[in-house]
Amino acid sequence: MRPRWSAEQRLAWLLCAPAVTAMLVVTAYPMLYALWLSLFRYDLRFPGERHFAGLANYAAVLTSEVWWRALLNTLMITVGSVALELVLGMVFALVMHRALVGRRAVRTGLLVPYGIITVVAAMSWRFAFDPTTGFVNGLLGLHAAWLAERWSAFFVIIQTEVWKTTPFMALLLLAGLTLVPEELLRAARVDGAGAWQRFFRITLPQMRPVILVALLFRTLDAFRIFDTVYVQTRGAQDTATVSLVGYDTLITRLNLGLGSAVSVLIFVCVVLIAVLYIKGFGLDLTARGRGR
Amino acid sequence: MRDRGGVLERLFWGAGSLLVLGYALVPVAWLVSLSLKRAADLGDGRFLPAAVSAENYVTVLRDPQFSASLVNSLGIAAIATALAVLLALLAAYAIVRLELPGRRLILAAALAIAMFPPVSIIGPLFNLWRGFGLYDSWAGLVLPYLTFSLPLALWSLSAFLREIPWDLEQAARVDGATPLQALWRVIVPLAAPGVVTAAILVFMFSWNDFLFASALTSTNQARTVPAAIAFFTGSSRFEQPTGSIAAASVVVTLPVILLVLVFQRRIVAGLTAGAVKG
Amino acid sequence: MVCTLAACARPPAQPPHLHWYVFDEQSGAFAAAARRCSEESGGRYEIVLAPLPTDADQQREQLVRRLAAGDPDIAIIGMDVIWTAELAAAGWILPWEGEAARQARAGRLASSVQSASYDGRLWGVPFTTNTQLLWYRTDRVAKPPATWDQMLTTAEGLGTHGTIEAQGERYEGLTVFFVSLLASAGGQVLSADGRSVSLAPGPTRRALEIMQRLATSSVADPGLATAREDQGRLAFEQGGPSFMLNYTYVWPSAHADAPAVAAHMGWARWPAVIPGRPSRVTLGGINLGIGAYTRHPKLAFDAASCLASAPSQRLAAERGGLPPTLTTLYDEPPIRRVFPFAEVLRETLRDAVQRPQTPLYADLSLAISHTLHPMRAIDPIRDVARLRAAVGRALRSEGLL
Repeated sequence: MRPRWSAEQRLAWLLCAPAVTAMLVVTAYPMLYALWLSLFRYDLRFPGERHFAGLANYAAVLTSEVWWRALLNTLMITVGSVALELVLGMVFALVMHRALVGRRAVRTGLLVPYGIITVVAAMSWRFAFDPTTGFVNGLLGLHAAWLAERWSAFFVIIQTEVWKTTPFMALLLLAGLTLVPEELLRAARVDGAGAWQRFFRITLPQMRPVILVALLFRTLDAFRIFDTVYVQTRGAQDTATVSLVGYDTLITRLNLGLGSAVSVLIFVCVVLIAVLYIKGFGLDLTARGRGR
Repeated sequence: MRDRGGVLERLFWGAGSLLVLGYALVPVAWLVSLSLKRAADLGDGRFLPAAVSAENYVTVLRDPQFSASLVNSLGIAAIATALAVLLALLAAYAIVRLELPGRRLILAAALAIAMFPPVSIIGPLFNLWRGFGLYDSWAGLVLPYLTFSLPLALWSLSAFLREIPWDLEQAARVDGATPLQALWRVIVPLAAPGVVTAAILVFMFSWNDFLFASALTSTNQARTVPAAIAFFTGSSRFEQPTGSIAAASVVVTLPVILLVLVFQRRIVAGLTAGAVKG
Repeated sequence: MVCTLAACARPPAQPPHLHWYVFDEQSGAFAAAARRCSEESGGRYEIVLAPLPTDADQQREQLVRRLAAGDPDIAIIGMDVIWTAELAAAGWILPWEGEAARQARAGRLASSVQSASYDGRLWGVPFTTNTQLLWYRTDRVAKPPATWDQMLTTAEGLGTHGTIEAQGERYEGLTVFFVSLLASAGGQVLSADGRSVSLAPGPTRRALEIMQRLATSSVADPGLATAREDQGRLAFEQGGPSFMLNYTYVWPSAHADAPAVAAHMGWARWPAVIPGRPSRVTLGGINLGIGAYTRHPKLAFDAASCLASAPSQRLAAERGGLPPTLTTLYDEPPIRRVFPFAEVLRETLRDAVQRPQTPLYADLSLAISHTLHPMRAIDPIRDVARLRAAVGRALRSEGLL
């Protein structure tokens, strides 16, 4: 028995090696370097004045009102967009799965928003909501300046994000839908279960791993939202997100120490979210599945 | 055999399809309309253009920088996708099917990579690439795209492979097939939707990325479309080139639509019951 | 094949390529200037255009990253005027000295030369310049208003047609607006040595009062909080607004896109803040600097001097609509045809105010625009202190902004 296992282990490592190598080579150094930089006071314009500052940068960030407001904004955008995307994505996945007429058109059409470059989508929605040049105000008979007020700006940002990435959710959920065994559903129908019951008692639980993976990655991405906010408001009207704060500090102000601290803190927040999913929702891919 | 619903059910799903299409395509229609508007009409607030003009498309297609960037985008995204899916498939198979000590660690590390804010990676990566001579090259972009989409591909493929009933493979072997034949004839078709899904995700990630593309390129050699769009100008310093950007995006989305059309049949493979689940 | 040693020792030498990093100029004026100068050099060098993104912030991002890495490819840089101090203090550009500096200063607008100077030295040769004027509808307003109060009152009297277009988004343009108003009120952001905050309470409060009055009055564009230069231009061209504070590019644009509006378009100097005291508007433009790591510094200086000479400036003005920096050019008929408002422009440029010349300008601008946005929420009394605190933090490069 033992020799067979270690051969299997060797094979397993061999198969994983390329992926692991690629991930390490490209990201290990930059991530560790960013961590290292966050302990220094370092402005790119004055390299000679760089000096060790310990945790001073972290203290500066954590005591800054700017950081906490940005964190709140980011959480609001994340929860809002992910929740909407889950519901919409599920609806779209069901439609794609069940529709017989025009199935190809629906599946192709739905992926188009996902293929439009993010900065362009953000720009075109910004243009659409503009009071002077856009069509939304005319359509709804309003004169609002959507991006000039905080809550309507949030609406536009979340709306753009949802439009752009629901196809991502729908795609993953569709792949998950195909895994639900038809005979279970048929048996339930024969037993007299209604459509809603079949959906909630059979379909959803069967799709659980896929739903959780989709949610996890979507949440991680939503938390680090940058392009849309940058193009539409640049963080004005108190819509700044943590990534935008990091960008401003790192790239505009060239304060590498402080900016790296912001980045590390963003990373910590995202880790917490992932832990929540894995421990809280029980997302575990390493447990043996149905197959074995 | 698929459940045959009544006419009402058919209508319901048909209406749903229309809604989905509308949701997806109305904003794209707005983009097309913007691209067809004359410069003077950009501010008129109408959905459809008052007068159709192809001037934006002429500008965009005549721009050598843009056509170069389109080739770059397609090539880099394709290579990154192929490599990412291959590596992820091998690793996912090992994680799900084989005894792999440290598989939790690998998945966790992959996740950690997907979680780090890219904006702070660009600086050190830029310096690293300059040192290795990878700055402003296809490989210089393929590697980060590969790395940052591997976690997603790995996790989604793992989730998918985990749900495949592997006893079918056993059944095929019992029926007399070799391990490789069993893998090819039974498992690969089952895994196909997951693989195609992962491929689409990786492709879209590479296609859409702006941060890495603008930081790690400097000439037409490797600049991709999102970065190239930043170079579009209006007819003066302050004028926003909205029309050109819209036209460029439309041109750029066409290959994506074509790719999706080709592969959409595989997205939900004929996983009809019976052979698989019965 | 027999050849003499000298003849086949080396292939015919290629003139060294000097890369000129500047934004992509649509009309081709820059490309023409580069070609002209390459030919005039008689084979000593060849200027090759290396395009940068259109947005000034993105240009700076790319340049800074590469200069910090010691890129030898960057020879000539088309620098925005606000980058002079930053690039100079970091040692990423070379100072102009001696004869080259004397020539670079000769005959140029004093304010442009000042924009290229830092710490007593010259760091670039002024190439093009830019500043804002007041544009108004001559069919609705007989005489352009002389002061801000007058303009606001007149506009409010015009009802729905009274809108004043300005830039109110949270970006560099808002800082420009504030600095212009502050200077017109007699104040300045930093002390003379650029190391401490000035922001005298009187002028600062006056500037903030005007901003608040504009943003909360009926004549403000509803999208003021997200308006940049181009939004104002588009709105003005639609025919509604009667006043617009904008750069000179709106003139040819209106003539091309909205002839009906352009037929009634007049220009004037920016309205004054203090009656009797001429307004001061912020200076923009491009200076040509030399990258510190270039392999051919001497050639780069020669090339930049040629690029900033009169013929190139004429090209930039006539084809690209970019105002020149050589004072005599404003009297030439072809230039006056492109800029019918040349006199007003020259006056404004003469009195123009510099944005604070400090290496930490990027932080400063962020602090100012973040504090003063949105304009309608400005409290002229409370915000003087807030602004001073924010600018102080930016100067010390501490904390998040």
